Amino acid sequence: MTDAKTQIDETVKSNDVVLYMKGTKEMPQCGFSSRVAGVLNYMGVQFSDINVLSDENIRQGIKDYSDWPTIPQLYVKGEFIGGCDIVTEMTISGELDTLFDDKGVAYNKEAADKIREANS
Amino acid sequence: MTHSNPTSVTTQIRQRLEHAFAPHVLDVVDDSESHRGHAGFREGGESHFNVRIRAGIFEGQSRIARHRAVHDALGADLISQIHALSLDIGT
Repeated sequence: MTDAKTQIDETVKSNDVVLYMKGTKEMPQCGFSSRVAGVLNYMGVQFSDINVLSDENIRQGIKDYSDWPTIPQLYVKGEFIGGCDIVTEMTISGELDTLFDDKGVAYNKEAADKIREANS
Repeated sequence: MTHSNPTSVTTQIRQRLEHAFAPHVLDVVDDSESHRGHAGFREGGESHFNVRIRAGIFEGQSRIARHRAVHDALGADLISQIHALSLDIGT
């Protein structure tokens, strides 16, 4: 593996929830990244944010790692979950709750229900 | 650049998805104008797209598999020209 891939592999396997995004969770610099970070923040999920704009090797490396051409990318317990469209769909359908339950990731179920109520 | 241009990004997206999936619903919307002033916007549009596709071939495929199939059909050359691509994929 390249240095970038090794670094990514270590990051996603040593942190329960990792979001590769443009900008940071406090200051997202892209609407799609902002939406996913917003969902995780609102649901009270503890996650590590990796700003791809601050490292060109990671920006390209994460696309190669997952064979996925776009950012943001969400990882849970080392598994690639998807980008903005998929995370949004899974939030609305409740699949994201199930995933967090299965993986033992803490989140606020009431907050998740509020997101669904607001989008129903 | 207009949408009637045969080499436009919009047209290429349509052609490649029709060829790969024979969808019964295919909406390709150039949403670039709503991103004016934001990152990735360029004059003439064709930087931000919303795609809605429905095709029987996606039956039984996971969300990730569906997205990967669409990425593959579009090709790296076309995707590299698009700043933002929002996909709504179903059967």
